[in-house]
Amino acid sequence: MKKRIISAFLISAMTVAAVAGCGSSGDSDKGGDGKYSGVTLNYWSMWNSSEPQGQVIQEAADAFSEETGATINIEWKGRDINTLLSSALSSEEAIDIFEDSYMNIAKNYKDYCYDLTEMAEEAGYADKSFGCFNDKVVEWAGFLCAITEQPQVGGVWYNKDIFEDCGITEVPTTWTEFMDVCEKITAKGYQPLALDGTYADFTFGYHMDRVIGQDVIKDLAMNGGWSENEGVIEAADDIIEFVGNGYLAEGAPDEYPASQNKMGTEQNVAMVVCANYVTSEVKNNTGADLNWGLFNYPEVEGGVDPSNAYAGANSLGIASYSENPQAAFDFVMFLTTGEYDQKMADTAIQIPADPSNTEPETLSGSIETLKATTSPLDWNMGMNDNSDLKANFKDTIIKLYEGKFNTGAEFAAAMDALY
Amino acid sequence: MKKNRLMIITFLLPCVISVVVMFLYPTIRTIVMSFFRIEDIADEVSTWSFYGFDNYQKIFGSSTWRVSMLNMGRIWLFGGIITLSLSLLFAVILTSGIRFKKFFRAAIYLPNVISAVAMATMWIQYIYNQDYGMLNKILETVGLDGVKWLGTDTKFWALLLAFVFGAIGYYMLIFLSGIERIPQDLFEAATIDGANKVKQFTKITLPLLRGIIKTNLTFWTVHTITFFVWSKMFSPIDTEATTIVPVVYLYDTAFGGKNTAVRDAGAGAAVGVVLAVLVLIIYFIMNKVIKDDELEF
Repeated sequence: MKKRIISAFLISAMTVAAVAGCGSSGDSDKGGDGKYSGVTLNYWSMWNSSEPQGQVIQEAADAFSEETGATINIEWKGRDINTLLSSALSSEEAIDIFEDSYMNIAKNYKDYCYDLTEMAEEAGYADKSFGCFNDKVVEWAGFLCAITEQPQVGGVWYNKDIFEDCGITEVPTTWTEFMDVCEKITAKGYQPLALDGTYADFTFGYHMDRVIGQDVIKDLAMNGGWSENEGVIEAADDIIEFVGNGYLAEGAPDEYPASQNKMGTEQNVAMVVCANYVTSEVKNNTGADLNWGLFNYPEVEGGVDPSNAYAGANSLGIASYSENPQAAFDFVMFLTTGEYDQKMADTAIQIPADPSNTEPETLSGSIETLKATTSPLDWNMGMNDNSDLKANFKDTIIKLYEGKFNTGAEFAAAMDALY
Repeated sequence: MKKNRLMIITFLLPCVISVVVMFLYPTIRTIVMSFFRIEDIADEVSTWSFYGFDNYQKIFGSSTWRVSMLNMGRIWLFGGIITLSLSLLFAVILTSGIRFKKFFRAAIYLPNVISAVAMATMWIQYIYNQDYGMLNKILETVGLDGVKWLGTDTKFWALLLAFVFGAIGYYMLIFLSGIERIPQDLFEAATIDGANKVKQFTKITLPLLRGIIKTNLTFWTVHTITFFVWSKMFSPIDTEATTIVPVVYLYDTAFGGKNTAVRDAGAGAAVGVVLAVLVLIIYFIMNKVIKDDELEF
């Protein structure tokens, strides 16, 4: 008898747990007689509900429901959302709003996206967003299909306190100045640059862009010929000299995120080349509140691209078959402008999507950099265009930072050997 | 008889439908897809264009694919030798009447209970870390310099060691069940005849474990070919050539990696077909080489 009672109890507990486990979605339904009473919006998010981004999205959904009466079902799909979206959209699953990188939305899902041009014009979206992302989306997709939610900008992130301690008052703008800064930092007992292997191609991509420009990198990535390009050899020689001078942090290139974490744990590493999320990653991993600053990757004298910066964004798209595109658009604007955009920036420590909001102190300078960016660089500056070889590019570039090549020509030959 | 037939059909139908829908259809579709130029895995069939063997040509011509196959081959061969040898050794020791058998069995199997993500994190952060990892701390204690375990030269072997550590318990349990199946009187008779433990192992245990060895080799092959999580964990954020394996290559080819919008579902399907054929080839070779039906006990 006792066993039966225990069995019955366990079965009911399992059933309850199973049912609870199935409910991975967040549901905002405050009812009311608002503008969108009776409207249900299904939102597929790339975040999890426990992450700061997820929490702000949920708060915004609740507030929007309160205000308009709409019901918002949020499905937390996580980072692998890109493996699900195209099949879900093509089979017209119940999705109104979805999140992914702006490049994926504009290049891969554009056929399933609602044209937001008119609604954006009516809402004055151009004044509430960074033009560089909108221009790129229109260039790739032919129409506005993505609304920027979480912009990113890349460059050299540095610890202002270390710079101050080393007596560096001006950030370097050229490679020569950058090397001087590294020398001063080293002389004072600090280590200049943190580098994790995972960002080695991004960092070297930046340097190559400064010398030969992104378009040439793309061409080389697709067709080879690295050895025949003097700029590649020069860029690699610069890095060989940089590594030889001992300007990399101890152990770099390290396993992500060990090297960047040293900026927080040991606080004796001055800089890292990455996108803005490195600041929140270091804070989350180490608990250190660093006095961050950002400067653009320095110009290489005689190079073709003195100033372009990497910029990317997680964005929101609306399904072309959505029955409530206006309600979906209004919610997207509710989330990506004004109060909730500011909340997202403050909570998740990221750049606001609306330039009239303010950036967190740790990201100071990022809004100005994005405003000034007209032609953002791609991630890895075009090397990812050759999706087949990019893993090999990465390893060869990590070897460059490991000091495995004696000359730039050797490095370029190793790149050509991959074809 | 008619009633019986109806009952057989009724019971079989759900299984047959499940196999057709969930196994046969995706398999056939993948094979067909591998001969077409398809960008997105969800593209309508009407948008596919016939590509012949070009997808196969593309992957076989790719240096990344070749690196991934080489990595998989090394995992299969070196990892297989180490894992199966150690798991057999542990199984033999545990069945030799040692004390605390249950404890050791549980301890060796324990890594299988822990998620691969947690295990990989432990190895990367606490064992291989250059600054505070266990291995370098041991080296420092004996006065040696630390090693960069996760550098491009050593990362693959670091990955392999971590994976093997977790896999041994699983194969040990299968060997254990096989050894425990062998009648004890065979060993007793051999002992009376004067055979020592080594002789008993080579002349009784090993021959009677042929079937189990074949099973373990098949499992190991499938395990190696579907190797994914460990590779992903040892190349966080984006794929690296030192740790890439064919399934990761397939994933990146079909879905695109970090910050790349380039996808090729047709080539991804071709990778899947090649891997499936590889499993079949190895399975048939093992069936030919290892015969387990000669002995009865």
